[in-house]
Amino acid sequence: GLLLAALLVSHMLLTKEGVTSMPICPNGSVNCQLSLEELFDRAVKLSHYIHFLSSEMFNEFDERYAQGRGFIAKAVNSCHTASLTTPEDKEQAQQIHHEDLLNLILGVLRSWNDPLIHLASEVQRIKEAPETILWKAAEIEEQNKRLLEGMEKIVGRVHSGEVENEIYTPWDGLPSLQLADEDSRLFAFYNLLHCLRRDSHKIDNYLKVLKCRLIHDNNC
Amino acid sequence: DRLQWPQISKCRSPEMETFSCFWTAGNFYNLTVPRILQLLYKKSNEEDWKECPDYITSGQNSCYFNASYTSVWTPYCVQLASKNEVYDKKCFSVDEIVLPDPPVHLNWTLLNTSQTGIHGDIQVRWDPPPTADVRKGWITLEYELQYKEVNETKWKELKPRLSTMVPLYSLKTARDYEIRIRSRQRTSEKFGEFSEILYVSFSQIVIGCDHCTEEVEFPWFLVVVFGVCGLAVTMISIMLSKQPRLKMLLFPPVPVPKIKGIDPDLLKKGKLDEVNSILACHDNYKTQLYSDDLWVEFIELDIEDPDEKNRASDTDRLLSEDHLKSHSSLGVKDDDSGRASCCEPDIPETDFSASDTCDATSDSDPFKKATEKEEDLLCLDRQDNDESLPSLANTDLQRQHRNTQSENSHLWAPFGDSSESPRPSVHTQISNQNSLASTDFYAQVSDITPAGRVVLSPGQKSKLGRAQREACTEQNFTMDNTYFCEADVKKCIAVTSQEENEPHGQEQGYNEDGYFTTESLTTTVANLGASTAAPPSSEMPVADYTSIHIVQSPQGLVLNATALPVPDKEFNVSCGYVSTDQLNKIMP
Repeated sequence: GLLLAALLVSHMLLTKEGVTSMPICPNGSVNCQLSLEELFDRAVKLSHYIHFLSSEMFNEFDERYAQGRGFIAKAVNSCHTASLTTPEDKEQAQQIHHEDLLNLILGVLRSWNDPLIHLASEVQRIKEAPETILWKAAEIEEQNKRLLEGMEKIVGRVHSGEVENEIYTPWDGLPSLQLADEDSRLFAFYNLLHCLRRDSHKIDNYLKVLKCRLIHDNNC
Repeated sequence: DRLQWPQISKCRSPEMETFSCFWTAGNFYNLTVPRILQLLYKKSNEEDWKECPDYITSGQNSCYFNASYTSVWTPYCVQLASKNEVYDKKCFSVDEIVLPDPPVHLNWTLLNTSQTGIHGDIQVRWDPPPTADVRKGWITLEYELQYKEVNETKWKELKPRLSTMVPLYSLKTARDYEIRIRSRQRTSEKFGEFSEILYVSFSQIVIGCDHCTEEVEFPWFLVVVFGVCGLAVTMISIMLSKQPRLKMLLFPPVPVPKIKGIDPDLLKKGKLDEVNSILACHDNYKTQLYSDDLWVEFIELDIEDPDEKNRASDTDRLLSEDHLKSHSSLGVKDDDSGRASCCEPDIPETDFSASDTCDATSDSDPFKKATEKEEDLLCLDRQDNDESLPSLANTDLQRQHRNTQSENSHLWAPFGDSSESPRPSVHTQISNQNSLASTDFYAQVSDITPAGRVVLSPGQKSKLGRAQREACTEQNFTMDNTYFCEADVKKCIAVTSQEENEPHGQEQGYNEDGYFTTESLTTTVANLGASTAAPPSSEMPVADYTSIHIVQSPQGLVLNATALPVPDKEFNVSCGYVSTDQLNKIMP
């Protein structure tokens, strides 16, 4: 019985496209230092996982709370990270220097640190929030931290010059998540989740572009 | 016909670099002046609506936004309007509307065929859609392949995957297949359009066997049915068979609840005294085991007990006094219980009712003093109360009368015999009078009152003494052990005191509780007045614990004389019964 349960759980986890555990040191490396390729591989896996979770969480939230409230029409909103000028199309992504792009990625990740913490805690106060949403919020928050660490490692490797000023935008949306009016509060969540999905997609894309550019020489 | 408004049917981006919107005109055209529909768009940070830059490239009723007009993560709104009216509006961002083009250049190669040539494996390859820039990593695609036999209607699907090749196993060489593939952006849900269909035919490559076009399908149904029947027949025959071993193997019995150290046969036979003695040594069983309800059950068990003595004593107790209830019901008859808890039972019978026990004190006032001690559950906390002793002796005598006389005489006699043989070794066990905790002794719980007090029984000493009288003199107490066989001691020491007490009835030294502290032993011996009492020799260092010589669970242990290193004090010395766990701690 116990074995069967263990097998089921492991199967579920593996098919979830989650982040599986990877060996810390690939065989043969003396200093136990990961190659840049390995670092990028892990970063891309993490960013993909985060975007996948954000997508699902948004869809679930949309299904459960946003139907019939007309949120979609209002969703032409601006996210708190809009002030960071990030590449908006392929041309811009091709032209930007990889160090700048890395710094931008770091900036977006840092800017999401705070909102994710509050999202994970405030989402629990939503009336009858499904367990899946709660779990995903917590998971995204944790994985974002890990991705941030990984990116800082990559930046440390790749960066040639001095570290620039930290790019970061503060988030002031906490009061809107705590509004008394349920409709307004849910709308605030909807916007936040929408922004999260978008930004996680950005990060995922930028990392893939960088990986193909730096590691595979534009030949993925 | 219903009036249909012009609507925006969909907006789509095939590669996340451009996008197009499509609409339907509705049936306005027929009814009114042909209206000119416009598609207006606006980026989120703009204020003015702009008109579509390209109505042509994507076909009729479409608007195409090329790369310069496309910003991927920027929210857009488009609206379908004519001069005055807005018919439809949609808001989106480009990353949400990605639907890739279908893959191209599908082809297949044969991997291998089965020996009979009926089945074959193929590998299907394709290229990603040319519009999607996969090489620079701008978009990541995953593909879903579907295939079916030519004359089937339902497509079989494979799981979406990232690679651009996939093997297909076990295709029938005699049949032709169709394959189609579609792609989607990796984190999206919606797939793009299907590719063109790829036809797979083995006839040119493999020479199929003509006569094997109709292959025999494996008769799964028959196999399952017969298998189940056979299994059922086998199981039934095993269950009905008389082969116990086979039965045990296939149908192992469900384990019944079991308590360590207790033989279930004891419970069956109603030998509750031993069971209780063992249980009493486990802390958790001390008070819970006894209640009025249990008493009722025990009474019944006693009735069924073929052993007359048990019954008699119980009955006597029941009939004579109220508080006697407490004794008998609990079934903690001492008898050999002391022996059971400690040593190998030399006396096989356990039928002797506990004539004298601590419970005797419960019946009388003096017992109230003893009740304090009783709280220790094993009368361990016996203070050297001279006053209580006489009273105990009194009650003890009373109880003796209540019990079978012959039994008592037996009990008493041996004590007297051995009284003459002093056991100087006993003195080595002298310890502080007041601190029983430092003394090593144990006693047999003969009964437990409903109140939860434990009464110790001295019974075994008499019995033991009786049976072991001969062996008593030969016993060599190695007093460097603090533990020694209760039986041995009792039979030799208690007998001594017992005899004395009987005539006097007031023997102080007599420990009626069926156990004796060192001081009581000493006093007992001393009070005998015989020359038996030898001055206590210099105290010999004694070990706190001794190793087990023989374990006869659940009846007791015989301890070795060898001294062992003193373990922690957690050892429940008072019990006299060393659990295997505790022993394991001290045994090297």
